[in-house]
This record gives sequence, C-alpha cells and structure tokens, in this order.
Amino acid sequence: MQAVVTGATGFLGKRLVQSLCREGVSVRCVVRRSSNVGGLRDFLGDDWRKVDVARTELTDFSACVDALSGADVVYHAAAGLTGSTSTLFLNTVIPTRVLMDAALEVEVRRFVLISSLGVYGTASLPSGSVLDESSPVEPEPHLRDPYTYSKVVQEQAAWEAWRERRLPLVVVRPGVIFGLERGVLSGRVGVQVGGRLIAMGGGQTLPYTFVENCADAIALAGMEPGLEGEVFNVIDDDPPTAARLLKMLRRAGRRPRTVRVPGALIGGFSGLYEWYHRYSRGQLPGVITRYRSASMWKKLRFTNEKARRQLRWRPEVAFDEAFRRSLQGPDGRQ
Amino acid sequence: MSDRQRLRVGIVGCGQIADAHLQEIAKLDIAHVAAVCDVHRDLAVQAAARFHVPGVFDNVDEMLDASRLDVVHVATPAQTHHDLAVHLLERGCHVYIEKPVAIDAPEVESILSTAHRTNRLVCVGHDQLFDPVWLDCRDRVAAGEIGEVRHVESVLGYPLSGQFGALVVSDPNHWVRRLPGGLFHNVISHPLYRITDLMPGAEPAVDAHWFSRGEATFPTELRAHLRGDAVTGALTFDTGIEPQRITRVYGTAGCLEVDFDGQTIQRRRQARLPGAFAKLETPWRQWREAGANLRRNLARFLKSDIHYFAGMGRLFDEFYRAVLHGEPAPIPGEEIVRVTRVMDAIFDQCRGSAERLPRPSIRPESRPSLAHSV
Ligand SMILES: NC(=O)c1ccc[n+]([C@@H]2O[C@H](COP(=O)([O-])OP(=O)(O)OC[C@H]3O[C@@H](n4cnc5c(N)ncnc54)[C@H](OP(=O)(O)O)[C@@H]3O)[C@@H](O)[C@H]2O)c1
Repeated sequence: MQAVVTGATGFLGKRLVQSLCREGVSVRCVVRRSSNVGGLRDFLGDDWRKVDVARTELTDFSACVDALSGADVVYHAAAGLTGSTSTLFLNTVIPTRVLMDAALEVEVRRFVLISSLGVYGTASLPSGSVLDESSPVEPEPHLRDPYTYSKVVQEQAAWEAWRERRLPLVVVRPGVIFGLERGVLSGRVGVQVGGRLIAMGGGQTLPYTFVENCADAIALAGMEPGLEGEVFNVIDDDPPTAARLLKMLRRAGRRPRTVRVPGALIGGFSGLYEWYHRYSRGQLPGVITRYRSASMWKKLRFTNEKARRQLRWRPEVAFDEAFRRSLQGPDGRQ
Repeated sequence: MSDRQRLRVGIVGCGQIADAHLQEIAKLDIAHVAAVCDVHRDLAVQAAARFHVPGVFDNVDEMLDASRLDVVHVATPAQTHHDLAVHLLERGCHVYIEKPVAIDAPEVESILSTAHRTNRLVCVGHDQLFDPVWLDCRDRVAAGEIGEVRHVESVLGYPLSGQFGALVVSDPNHWVRRLPGGLFHNVISHPLYRITDLMPGAEPAVDAHWFSRGEATFPTELRAHLRGDAVTGALTFDTGIEPQRITRVYGTAGCLEVDFDGQTIQRRRQARLPGAFAKLETPWRQWREAGANLRRNLARFLKSDIHYFAGMGRLFDEFYRAVLHGEPAPIPGEEIVRVTRVMDAIFDQCRGSAERLPRPSIRPESRPSLAHSV
C-alpha cells in the first residue's frame, strides 16, 4: 500500500508516519517548500530511509496530482492551528479543496481527513449528554473560535466532495491530542492569560487522546476496508476531568499558576466579558463569549466505542503512562 | 442615518487586514459594508458570516454589477493594487487602497490620474496619521510646544518570529518577498509617512541601505536618512528589537516622543535649573509627563476609546465624509506620490548598495493569495 501523508512534519503527522512505517506501509510525505523536515528525520531515525518526501504547495493542483500519483490512501493532516480566521482558512480550507481535487483526479482508494472533535455543535447539547458520531455538527461555526470555524468548513468541503463527486472519504475527529512537545494542558482546561491559567470549571471530562494512540487510530482509518462515508471520534479510554489533570500536574511537581472560575459561574463570567467587549466596541478582544464557553467547557461524556468496533483500535498507552511521558519535556504545558 | 443614505462599501481581499476594515466600518454611522469579495470564495464567505455582510463574491465585476457600491476598499497584495484600483475607478467607485498604495510612483500617478479623469476620490491606508496620539502630537507641534521642527525619527521594531514573519522568512516565493523593496516594501510606509508628515516641501534627498541580520538570506534591516529643505529624518526598521512603533519629533525647543503602541507622548527638553538641580528637574518633569499620560489613557479607557485601529476608523470617516460632500480626500494626492517616490528612492539605493541581491520580479509567477499582513 502506498500512502501519502500531508502535515507529516507536524506533532501528529510525525507519529502517523511512524505508525504507518511500522505497519509496513510505503509512505510519501507531502511537505511545503518551506517545511523543515529535520525534526521528522530525527524522529523517524532508521525509518527515515523508508519514506520519500515530495515538496509541493497544497495550493498547486498539478503539483499535488504529481505528488499523489500512485497513492492508494491520502492522510490529510496538514492544517493551520493558530492565527486569524483568514490565515486559518488559507492554511486549512483552501489546501484541502485542492488536495481533494487532486485525489479525485488520480482516483485514490481512500481519503482520510483529520478533522477535530471540536466540530460538534456542543452548545446546544444538554449537560451530561453523550457525545458520539451521531451528535450534530456545529450549525453556527462562525460563532466559534477561528480554528474550529476553519475545521468545520474544511469538513463541509470534504462531505460535499463525498456526496457530489464520490470522494472515498473517511473522517477522523480526534479529541485534544497531547504528548511530549505539547504537554497536557489545553484550552479545554482553561485559558492562559499573562502566564496564569484561568481554569474553567474542573468537573468537565477532557476528550484527550495521546498522540501515539491517536496516530494508530488514524493509520487504521486508511487501512480497514469498507469505511467510506464514516466518521470516527478518537478519544482514549478513561480520559480525566480537568480537576484531576490539574491535581496530577501538582503531584508531578508542576504548579501552573491557576485562578479557578467555578463551573456555575462560567456562563455569567462569559456573558459579562462578551457584554464588555460589545459595550467598549472591542477594547478587549472578543475571544470569550457565552456561546464559545457553552461549546468548550460543558460537562459531556465521550465514547470511543465506534473506533474500537469498526477500526479495531485499542489505545495502547494508558492515560497515566501517557501523562508521564508527556511531562518529560521542560514544561508540561501547552 | 437610514440605510438609504449610508454609503455602500465593498471590500476586495478578505485577508487579515480586512477584519480591521470591517470592524472599524461597523462603528461608523455613515457607511455600511454591502459586499465582500475574494478570489478565494471561502475567505469572502467567512468575512461575510462574521461581520453580517449580505453580498459575497469571488469576482469584482460581479460584485460591482450586483451591489451598487459607492466606495470599494482594496485590501489585496500590493502587486494587484494598481490594476484593481484603476478598474474600480473606471467603474465609478471611490477607492480606498491599503498601504503600500502600489508598486512604485508611476503606478501611483496612474491611479491618481484615473481618479482625476473619472472624478472619483482615492484614499490610501496611511491610517496612523489619524491615530489619536499622532493627532495630539501634531496639535502640540502646531501650538509651538517644541519650537520649529528640525528632525523626525521613526522606529519600527518588527521581529520575524511572529507567524506572518516566519512565513515570509521561510517562503522565498511569498508575495511580500517579491515586492521590489521585499519585506520593507510592505511595512515601511507607516514609519515613513510619520516622518514626511512633518517635513514640508519637495521630495527629500535619501541616503539608505539595507542588510541582513543573522542567518537570513535576504535583507531584514533597513536604515534610511532623509534630508528635506528644513527638516531631516531617520527611519529605522529592525527585526532584532522588540515590536514597537515610535516616532520622535525634535524641535528647536524640545522633543516629543510618540509611542503608538503605548498611546503616550513624552516631552523632553533641556532642564532650566542650574547644576545638580537639573538632575532632579529632568526626572521630575518625566514623572509628571508619565502621570499626565496615565490620566489621559485612563480617561480614554473609561470612555472605551482605546482601539488599535482607531486611526483607521477616523480616516474612513473623513474619507466617507469627503465622498458624501464632494470634498477633497483626506490625504492629498501629492503626498501619496511623494511618499511613494521616497520609497522608490530608498529601495533603488538599497539595491545599489547591495548588488549581490538582485531586484526580485515584481509580478509573482502565480497569483498571490489575497491574505494581507500587518
Ligand atoms: N493538536 C490537536 O490537539 C489536534 C486535535 C484535533 C485535530 N487536530 C488536527 O490534527 C492535524 C495535525 O495537527 P498537529 O497538532 O500535528 O499540528 P502541527 O504540529 O501544527 O502540524 C501542522 C502540519 O500542517 C502543515 N501545514 C500547515 N499549514 C500548511 C499549509 N498551508 N500547507 C501545507 N502544510 C501545512 C505543517 O507543515 P510545516 O512544517 O510546513 O509548517 C505541519 O506539518 C491538524 O489537521 C489538526 O487540525 C489536532
């Protein structure tokens, strides 16, 4: 099997390439002209000799067609993670459209899109609901943060290609991916302001997946037969609550400077912030709104049952071990 | 104002800076954005969704045919400004153009002559001239607080570690790198017009050079000296210092230091007291200046009047009023040409002093994406 991986130089992409190499898959990494492949090379060690690298801008259709020629499966992990909405659209939505056109042109057998668990419309779900693959996708993505907005539109474009042009699509929606370079703190725990963590609530379960576990699930999504048109949420077994994670961090000797907003006050706090943003006509950036808070910090239950059943995925590294490995870096925070 | 009386505005190019335009126009009564357009339809769609704009287009002519626009803002990469602006003027729109206005002075002259012929107005994105702190500084200069202006110094600290900078560094084909003045072309108009604004008379003589810092394979630092009839200027663009936008205006009776990011003005002048007392007088004065700045900013904060793009909003307002009342545009055409000529002279000299760095092609081989920086 010949696989093409975009975003191979990234945090997840590196592990995905490694996981595919271990499965004996032949991998071509499609990276931009400006990408630094040094980190990928060092990470793969001996496996580096087994991969080939194509330098291609994902906005260049004919170059993408060349890079995809002979590919059975495309794993599309490249995406922008930060920046303004327009920057994220330029790095995520537009390259995805071009890559899908190229994948249709060379008639790949499967196109695995790495989406995000963030695309669900969780604001409307009652607290305590189970979030699974049948939950609704965000109906008002422009009200969410720029990253989530770009991922929702990226997925919309992919589903359109599946419906209208028969792109052999499989969508994977990982939760928050954690691991050594990223640490264990994320926006699901709270927001970082001036070196301090404003912890939002604490009782919410964190939909976390360890980067190696996640990479394995994604690799399987390209290999198991008959999955076209399916979606898989990827979350590890027994993810912790935010409060438990902070406690584990403290026990491990890390003391993030934290101010806690109790769960019951999040709505009011967000409403106040949102009001002031409007009242002052933007004197504070409009990053916190009631809608975003209701989407982000709600208590939900998560399940990985479908990925376990249909991908036959087993998260190999248990949370406590994954936590330990993620803290070997200098900081342990994101 | 009712919707029928308000100016109908369109925006072409929905990159990062378009967000600032949309945000500032939304604060004004006299205009509203009726349409947005980008060659990448996705970008136009996101801008429209977030700022409640009814018209979404990926083709300028379709936008013009459908939307009856009075004013169009051009917020695309500089390489596209001339052709777009001329086209929009020919189609009867008044045009606001982001900096840098165009690639060089002949292009700017062509835009202005088209505006003259079509009887439309052109405004350029020299928005920091309308920043509250700069307007205040100008008033104080006009009131004679520092005597006659003799020298203006502008510093732009622009570390390349930010997301946009990193992209420009890593991609030799980035549209910014393909401008005749490279990285500087995209950003030095701001510190430059803050100098020329206080430098009356003809085009100043220029002495400029650029160089690279560290590992960079292209010029990253620029120094320019300007010599006008009565006023001289110094421009420093530096990627090795903290981000900052500072202009110092030196006069015969003191100096005003304007910090655009801190929104402060510090006055410096020679102490009057004798001997060691002068060493007490100077910090005493500085302390009082700091107190005045704090009070001013606190009052502005309480009035919700501290906004990064306040100058842009004010410039839009003045431009739209000029359109409505048939008055001249807020920034005169001659000044736009003068600033562009000085930029051309700076880049010509820099290329001359660094022969190993060839002039990049002006037009990108592929159409640049319409993302806008800074
Ligand atoms: N991290 C998470 O918690 C998380 C959770 C859910 C889903 N995801 C998804 O997982 C994927 C990988 O995320 P990550 O955390 O590994 O991100 P990352 O470390 O930032 O990696 C992003 C990768 O995408 C590439 N890329 C970015 N913009 C590109 C463009 N315009 N053209 C071509 N390549 C581009 C980067 O290449 P360069 O080396 O050239 O910059 C890099 O290889 C993304 O699709 C992300 O949305 C992540």
